[in-house]
Amino acid sequence: MRIAGSNVIDQPVDKVWDALLDPRVLVATIPGCERLESTGENTYAMTVTAGVAAIKGTYSGSCSLSDLEDRESLVMKLQGAGAPGTVDATVNVRFSEPAPGQTEISYDADAVVGGMVGGVGQRMLSSVSKRMAGEFFANVGNAISQPPLVEPAETPAGVASAQPAVFTAPAKTGGISSRDDFIKGIAVGAGLVVLGVVVGGIFGRRRG
Amino acid sequence: MTTKLMGQKVQRVEDQRFLRGQGRYADDVAVGSDTLHAAVLRSPHAHARIVDIDVSEVLDLEGVHAVWTYDDLTGPMAEPLPLLIPHPALTRGRTQYALADGEVNYMGEAVAFVVADDRYVAEDAVGRIRVDYEVLPAVVGLPAARAAEHLVHEDVPGNLGARLEQEVGDARAAIEEAPHRLELDLTVERSSCQPLEGRGTVARWDPDLNRLQAWTSTQSSTGVRAALAVKLGLDLGQVDVITPDVGGGFGVKINHPWPEELLVPLAAKALGRTVKFTEDRREHFISTAHERGQQHHIEVGFDDDGRLLGLDVEFWHDHGAYTPYGLIVPIITSTQLLGPYKPHNYRVVFESLYTNTVMVTPYRGAGRPQGCYAMERTMDAIAGYLGKDRTEVRAVNFIQPEEFPYDHGLVFQDGRELEYDSGDYPAMLEKIKALVGWEEFPAFKAEMAALGRNVGIGLACYVEGTGVGPYEGAHVHIETSGKVKVATGLTTQGQGHATVFAQLVADELGVKFEDVEVVTGDTRRMPYAVGTFASRAAVMSGSAVHLAAQRAREKVLKIAADALEVDELDLQIVDGVVSVKGAPPDSVGASIDLGTVSVLSNPLRYAFDEASKAATQFSVGDPGKPPVAEDDEPGLEGKDFYSPERATFASGMHAVIVETDPDTAEIKILKYAVVHDCGNLINPMIVEGQIHGGVAQGVGGALYERMAYDESGQLLNASFMDFLMPYVTEVPDGIDIDHLETPSPLNPLGIKGAGEAGVIPSAAVFAAAIEDAEGIPVTAMPISPSELFALRQSKEPS
Repeated sequence: MRIAGSNVIDQPVDKVWDALLDPRVLVATIPGCERLESTGENTYAMTVTAGVAAIKGTYSGSCSLSDLEDRESLVMKLQGAGAPGTVDATVNVRFSEPAPGQTEISYDADAVVGGMVGGVGQRMLSSVSKRMAGEFFANVGNAISQPPLVEPAETPAGVASAQPAVFTAPAKTGGISSRDDFIKGIAVGAGLVVLGVVVGGIFGRRRG
Repeated sequence: MTTKLMGQKVQRVEDQRFLRGQGRYADDVAVGSDTLHAAVLRSPHAHARIVDIDVSEVLDLEGVHAVWTYDDLTGPMAEPLPLLIPHPALTRGRTQYALADGEVNYMGEAVAFVVADDRYVAEDAVGRIRVDYEVLPAVVGLPAARAAEHLVHEDVPGNLGARLEQEVGDARAAIEEAPHRLELDLTVERSSCQPLEGRGTVARWDPDLNRLQAWTSTQSSTGVRAALAVKLGLDLGQVDVITPDVGGGFGVKINHPWPEELLVPLAAKALGRTVKFTEDRREHFISTAHERGQQHHIEVGFDDDGRLLGLDVEFWHDHGAYTPYGLIVPIITSTQLLGPYKPHNYRVVFESLYTNTVMVTPYRGAGRPQGCYAMERTMDAIAGYLGKDRTEVRAVNFIQPEEFPYDHGLVFQDGRELEYDSGDYPAMLEKIKALVGWEEFPAFKAEMAALGRNVGIGLACYVEGTGVGPYEGAHVHIETSGKVKVATGLTTQGQGHATVFAQLVADELGVKFEDVEVVTGDTRRMPYAVGTFASRAAVMSGSAVHLAAQRAREKVLKIAADALEVDELDLQIVDGVVSVKGAPPDSVGASIDLGTVSVLSNPLRYAFDEASKAATQFSVGDPGKPPVAEDDEPGLEGKDFYSPERATFASGMHAVIVETDPDTAEIKILKYAVVHDCGNLINPMIVEGQIHGGVAQGVGGALYERMAYDESGQLLNASFMDFLMPYVTEVPDGIDIDHLETPSPLNPLGIKGAGEAGVIPSAAVFAAAIEDAEGIPVTAMPISPSELFALRQSKEPS
């Protein structure tokens, strides 16, 4: 299935780009994201708890990046698997400035959603994904004006302490996370696609 | 004399239980807390290599008793599942493993098997198994299978499982020379049976008896038994398979053994505990079987009257990932397509192709709906081309009543000649025209058109080979109480066998209907049997029950004649009492009840009650003869088998009037009429029930149901939320039914099968009616309002 859409954030491209590169922001703003980890160059691991309709579960995901154009675009290949199903997606992400002080992020994902989610929840995925993307970018906008206080959960051996590699989500009490558990619950497709967007951001910063 | 029950609308004895919630299905067996429950990890991908399976997170989980993958299977269990019906043309038949061996070929294929304290723990455990897949390109749908850009099985070039051609005469030459020619391309999509009870298996290993007992929701208990014995390395005599009440089969449960049908008994034996597997609805969608998906290309040559001169049919059959049921479905399409017509020259060739989708096995109708659709749409096209009435074109092509037996010169699905035994198609056509109001329809259409309403009429004819062999048997036992216990080996999925077989026994034995009790599908009671499919139960087991009751009757009369010291020919049996014909009812020594005859049939040394005293050694018998004669045996029983030369051919015609909404393209059924010939009727009410159910299922198949696979092989509508089955609101309010009874000469009762009939002509009859209403060719079924709307748009001048 194809999931495409775009969202506008009322912040300039530079700030959005920087915010998206900050894993502390990401882990706190991605609905259902519990853990984000750098596993090596061009690869990341993540854990997302999400559900579509009544099918809830935890997904272990990974992604790899290519075709990076700094502050402009990137291509991401994503894999996520959990008891409720699997997601394999290729996401094209573009950044642009529709008006001064605004950033438009467009994404176009070709996703194969398999297993139970694919069969039972598929018809909800497309609309849910778009809604979730909107939710996420709104969170990011808020995060820029109200930076979250998240510290690295652990620092694996072999990784410079200045470059923390594992992040866990804060307790969901602050203002930047979605308070809508239902919406959060139906976020698997969107969650992973959006995750692709943001993890791409992290990579962008590392190269930049 | 008791009224003969054959032909009577006897109320179904089963319904008391079913309607009061007292049916006992596989899931109702062994409900105690000692029973362990199984769950299956299924592939989320349509085509993938299994790189690694990690069960480490499950092994120590509390409440988990077993976690198996392919590597845990040994011996015959590690071999592929049986290819049940081999065929010389199926040169590349493939079957799956009980658990996938390194590769999965459809989304839903079994990968790992967990047994736990309950289903919750089992499913949680399944969720913790980590499988590393290397996803491969999926082949989905017939165009992709035919293009063969990717292969389902690496060693099957072109995805081609089989190619089979049959020809009578020279079809191509006849078409070339014919005054008129037409070509049609017609497609039918996939659907599936969806019995309300899915699959279910319970097994128990008895260490004291060294014996396996399995209850399974199957259409062939003897088939499962044989497979279990082979796969588990047991003697046949160590395995009992019992079919409890089955909540619908419709074909899908004739395939066997399912992986779970083997794994559950294996686990029961290995763990020494009762183990149960009850399928959920999603599993039924993604891991059983589908049917119907075919593309057809038809070329036909005909004369000015519409008479077929040559018919050349080529079709492609999507058999999914595996071929356990051989080529039965496409063979049936290729032969039964002919319906009631004489094609004169006929060539048919099909290719049976692999796709990365759920495998295909027969679904009620089994290839006939597609064949009927191909043939009947051809008839409609010929009529349209010649500007003739659609019934006239059919009539000139009918096999005539005096032409039976009519041999088509083809080989049918049972390996026997396609030879029709009986029927009267011209009479049937007259009946259906009268029933639906064919002649009056043009006036009705004009009347509706004046009101701005679109209506259309369609008609379709079919012939159905029913009651295929090889055989069925029955056992009739008259107890000393006078009650009669009947067993036949084939299974029951709601057809009313306990009623109709009891009718037959009551008639033959002269006992009260309520004194007859019928058991089906229990290998302890009748170990030799084939199964319930191909509308064969009444023909096969009905005939066997009738013959077995005759054997029992012969014995009753022999013993009673001895006891009453009269000639057998002077005796009659009425309401369970043998009496001398013409004797006054109360005359002493002129009658004996069946219970007493049963007592006398078994010479005793030891009495155990008042009645049995009469059979002890100082009471009965000629001292000069052995108590049991050389050619006799003790007990009042009759057993017999029925094995026909070939199938018997039922027939029918359906007609429907539909209305299509000019704005929304909604399709509404205004009238549905059925004329049906299944020979002599045992129970007209049950036959009509079968027709009602079949028509309902056919409405679903023609207007609603499809398997929505995406291009990656994900089944997107694997739930009742998205897979549309007709409710009572979608089924016609009334179905007008008329019967024609042309008895079959092939069996003692003159009967033919009726189980599948109602569903066969649906696609054909609805396509015809919608086309008639809209004036747009309908070449792909099923058809939804959206598709009809799109058809209208595409026909509008732009």
